[in-house]
Amino acid sequence: MDYNQTFAKEVYEKVDSGDEIKVCMQCGVCGATCPLRGEMKYGPRQIWSLIRAGRRDEVLNNPDIMLCTSCYTCQVRCPRGVPIMEVMHGLAHYALAQGIVPRAETAKFGKAFWEGIYDTGRVDEAVVPIKYCLQDGLVAGLKKSLGMMDIGLALMKAKRMKPKMFIPPNIFIPGVHKIKGVKQLQRMLDKAAAIDAAKEA
Amino acid sequence: MSKKVCGYLCKGCGIGDALDLGGLKKAAGEQGVKEFKEHDVLCSPEGVAMIQADVDAGTNALLIAACSSRAKTDEFSFGNQVLVERVSLREQVVWCSAEAEDDDRQMLGEDYMRMGGVKLTKSEPPAPFQLEGEVAKAVLVVGGGISGLNAAIAAAEAGSQVYLVEKEAELGGFLRTINKLGPQTAPYRELEDNPLPALLEKVSGHANIKTFTGATVDKTEGAPGNFTISLSNGESLRAGAIIQATGWTPYDPEKLAGDLAYGSSPNIVTNVQFEQKAKEGGLGGINSIAFIQCAGSRDANHLPYCSAFCCLVSCKQAMYVKQANPEASVYVIYKDVRTPSQSEEVYREAQRQGVIFIRRDEAYPTITGSDKLSLETMDVLLNEKVSLEELDMVVLATGMKPNNPKVVEAPLVAFGEDQEAAKKLVEEAKAQTEDWSVLNLQYRQGPNLPTLKYAMPDSHFICFPYETRRTGIYTSGTVRRPMRLTQAQDDGVGAAMKAIQAIRAAEAGCAVHPRSGDESFPEFAMQRCTQCKRCTEECPFGAINEDEKANPLPNPTRCRRCGVCMGACPERIISFKNYSVDIVGSQIKAIEVPEEDEEKPRVVVLACENDALPAIDMAARLGKSWSAFVRFIPVRCLGSVNLVWIADALSSGIDGLILMGCRRGDDYQCHFIKGSELANVRMSKISETLQRLVLESDRIKVAEVGITDHDKVAGIINEFMETIDSVGPNPYKGF
Amino acid sequence: MDYFLYYGCSLEGGGVHYMISTEAVAKALGINFHEIEDWNCCGASIAYIGGNEMQSIVLNARNLALAEAQGGYDIVAPCSSCYIMLNKVNRELQAHPKLMAQVNEILAEGGLKYSGQIRVRHILDLLYHDVGVEKIKAAVKKPLTGVKVAAYYGCQTTRPFGEYDSCENPHTQDDILAALGAEVVEFGHRVKCCGSGIFLTEIDKCAYLVKDIIESAAAGGAQIISTACPMCQMNLEIYQQRVNAITGANLNMPVVFVTQLMALAFGGDKDGAAALNRLVVPSGPALQAVGA
Repeated sequence: MDYNQTFAKEVYEKVDSGDEIKVCMQCGVCGATCPLRGEMKYGPRQIWSLIRAGRRDEVLNNPDIMLCTSCYTCQVRCPRGVPIMEVMHGLAHYALAQGIVPRAETAKFGKAFWEGIYDTGRVDEAVVPIKYCLQDGLVAGLKKSLGMMDIGLALMKAKRMKPKMFIPPNIFIPGVHKIKGVKQLQRMLDKAAAIDAAKEA
Repeated sequence: MSKKVCGYLCKGCGIGDALDLGGLKKAAGEQGVKEFKEHDVLCSPEGVAMIQADVDAGTNALLIAACSSRAKTDEFSFGNQVLVERVSLREQVVWCSAEAEDDDRQMLGEDYMRMGGVKLTKSEPPAPFQLEGEVAKAVLVVGGGISGLNAAIAAAEAGSQVYLVEKEAELGGFLRTINKLGPQTAPYRELEDNPLPALLEKVSGHANIKTFTGATVDKTEGAPGNFTISLSNGESLRAGAIIQATGWTPYDPEKLAGDLAYGSSPNIVTNVQFEQKAKEGGLGGINSIAFIQCAGSRDANHLPYCSAFCCLVSCKQAMYVKQANPEASVYVIYKDVRTPSQSEEVYREAQRQGVIFIRRDEAYPTITGSDKLSLETMDVLLNEKVSLEELDMVVLATGMKPNNPKVVEAPLVAFGEDQEAAKKLVEEAKAQTEDWSVLNLQYRQGPNLPTLKYAMPDSHFICFPYETRRTGIYTSGTVRRPMRLTQAQDDGVGAAMKAIQAIRAAEAGCAVHPRSGDESFPEFAMQRCTQCKRCTEECPFGAINEDEKANPLPNPTRCRRCGVCMGACPERIISFKNYSVDIVGSQIKAIEVPEEDEEKPRVVVLACENDALPAIDMAARLGKSWSAFVRFIPVRCLGSVNLVWIADALSSGIDGLILMGCRRGDDYQCHFIKGSELANVRMSKISETLQRLVLESDRIKVAEVGITDHDKVAGIINEFMETIDSVGPNPYKGF
Repeated sequence: MDYFLYYGCSLEGGGVHYMISTEAVAKALGINFHEIEDWNCCGASIAYIGGNEMQSIVLNARNLALAEAQGGYDIVAPCSSCYIMLNKVNRELQAHPKLMAQVNEILAEGGLKYSGQIRVRHILDLLYHDVGVEKIKAAVKKPLTGVKVAAYYGCQTTRPFGEYDSCENPHTQDDILAALGAEVVEFGHRVKCCGSGIFLTEIDKCAYLVKDIIESAAAGGAQIISTACPMCQMNLEIYQQRVNAITGANLNMPVVFVTQLMALAFGGDKDGAAALNRLVVPSGPALQAVGA
């Protein structure tokens, strides 16, 4: 396999915190400390190695780049101070922006979460799972949400969730509490998106 | 000197409870220590004041029966003219005899009192050796590269006259070929200028430094404090100490023609050649380049060792390329990046600038092509074979060889062994020894500094890094071991300090390390010398020259006071004022040997006082215990053990002996380099003596005990006691 | 002692018992909490999927700017994720004036401006460093004698900055629990991640993380786990049956907030101030020793 630095340069320039991986010395502490390393084909060290070797498709299509639990252990322990978690999030975000979906379920959940923020300024723990489920379509979505019924019921019983979760979502979502400045917030987020979009292009 | 002797008994640390003090005093009395004083805590200010008052009143030989000679050294020293003999009742009697019968413990204590007493009465205070004439205080520095220049400046700034000798027409050594230095100062982002001009200015402007360029050393005679050096330009210099900073030579790349295609393309160059190109401004047009680390280094077929500078230099040279062309693809192919301390910052900076590091396996990359090169290597981090194409250049990061002649010493041969075979070994060693010289020493043992491996001068490098086996001669920089520029620079300062120290020691008539400050030195009763040459051959430091009739000519300022000569001498004519064949022999004879039917065997342990003794003390401190039938006698070095002591001990009924000392061999830990090795060789010959006496060879054991081996001490002793039990009592008891 | 309490989305929902107990504890210790009016969600770690880096910064900068305009008190976040997001962005902004200027241009869309004057704190930081163990001890009316508790920190409570406690070997929660009179057990998994960030979507993988943490605490002798993070509390507690089904474990471990135990020790009602009735896994025998 031929080494090619085009992809490395793409990562350094376009991925959030991407140029930080330059100083990785391939010690492997990141993978060794990752709680889910056993579930991955490649740990962070190997992903960086693949980036340096120019393996664009192998990296961006790799579901491991989106299996991060965001626990910061690798980042704290990296002897070179690489913000590994941030780079991993950056890579996953970059892949999604390129239309690649390394992990479908987590991508759907993240999308629902973000939409919640964008639409109302806050996240309603009762609404996000519903929106997440309904991305599979109404029937499949309802099935998926019924699968979580036991959890919902338990929380409801403990008075930690309002029953609206179980009303079909299109009925209650318009009524969700929005922050007062939601319009301004959306303008800010749009402007911020434009800045990063320019970078990623 | 007229001796006024007094003994002091400490009752602290459990001594008073465990032992009958009257018995102890009586035992010492048998050896001439009649007067005794007791104290509850002898090391307390009151206890010390009690002794000091006696010293002030004229007492000048003290038997201090308390703790180990390694404890409370400040409290119990009363100036050079007051003899002090320490009896270690605490470590060697009370603390280590938990399982012993009371009377065995008492006998142990009494034996030590006798042994201490006889040593005290037989010792004399040393009188320091004085060189004739004025002590030469100048420092000679041979080699004008980074290390030599810094050594010269450091010595000159400390007030010494310095003679700086450089074989080339100009000072600077390898530094003259260097383009830039890697980042040296925080935040380690920028290449730095070559420091040579500033150094040269400092040297030429210094009143204390006299430089001789285009000159080499024809001859070095004398000893620390009194070296006479003849230069090739006819000059003759006197110096008190010498620093050899002769630097390095690059590994010959022609030898890499097979492994790394050197010579097959003008675009395959060494790091040294690449530096030259950089200095000449010839790095334009490089779009793609690979550096290959460990090109011939850490390879049994080439240089087996790490040269310590190549990783750093490749990082720096990769930065040259990146600075000329930031878009260039720059690869460093390595086995392990070895960039310790601040060099790590340079590695990191090279990475920041976009240099790609590829880790390879043991196999060398395959390089093909002539104008544009292709390279194939195993990338162990991807676990794949990878290739780099269209390379404009490949740089081989080759290592360094010390500029010092290789000296191979013949294996040690015991006295009395087949002399023909010994001669052959010497011939073989000679054939492997290189026949050129830097210093041309006029020493009995040859013109060069002894080397251990790879032509780097031998020294006890952990404890005494700059030392060589020629006292007063120090190596500095890359001749000593591979190192990078900043280390060679610091090395120069360290060597300069050691050189000045050696001159001061010669002036004061005392030893340099490891017996720093020791004023005793070996004296030779020449009328009984048989010219056997054992002492002149076996001295690890080449301290003793020979006249044409093979009489030894000692040079006390070269001497480290280990006593190896004393151990070697079959005629027992070599002794120190406070350490001699007679003194230790008398200590052995002072041990009371019970009759055979008492079933109380006696074993003597001759223990190296640098390593074994502290380990024994530590074991006792940690509550380990062992047989109370064992008596320790500290020796300066196992090399000072004279075979007559073994014979004396066995013929007086001692059941066995252990020689406890440092590790020997290539990874030796002996402070005197060859001492434990020599002891082992000599003991290998003892079986003949034993056979003559009809004794079992199991009665003698040589045990390696390092300073950290406190956990082994009790085991070694107890195991030996079992052996003695099984061979039975020494039949010479009672004779 | 005036602070902003940044509730965050969790404390309005599944972590309501955190809010109830935190407010009760604050009252007992003389802490005045103010709400940042019209605060928005911090985005949490998962924001990277829908939003980009700058959007994530802006979300948090807005809250910081609001806090600065509304009195400038330290922001105390009981939720670890909120704490880390606010703190991380705050540190970035304070360290990089260029970024601050860029962000202020965006904040101007909502008539806001941030100058970098706010401090972001975790609730453990406030309790340990500002209130102090001695004052907590003095407020105890019903010591938690005989309660065997594991102090679980998880990930974002101390990582990545370790500002108020060690990332690898934290002690603040242990010390607070000890001050309440509880017996704090040793356990190995106190800073291991529970996987809450992606638990819902990757439950087959993350179930083992929960299993290991709870089993580690049980092996240390704990009858109850205490935490200071709403994601940890929820994740470790409500999925235990699921985790048992996936991993074959047999978990039944109550998990509470440190503030619930504090409220209880300060004499609060077990279902009122301490909100123990909000648990999915009842505290059961773990707190029987103190009558709860």
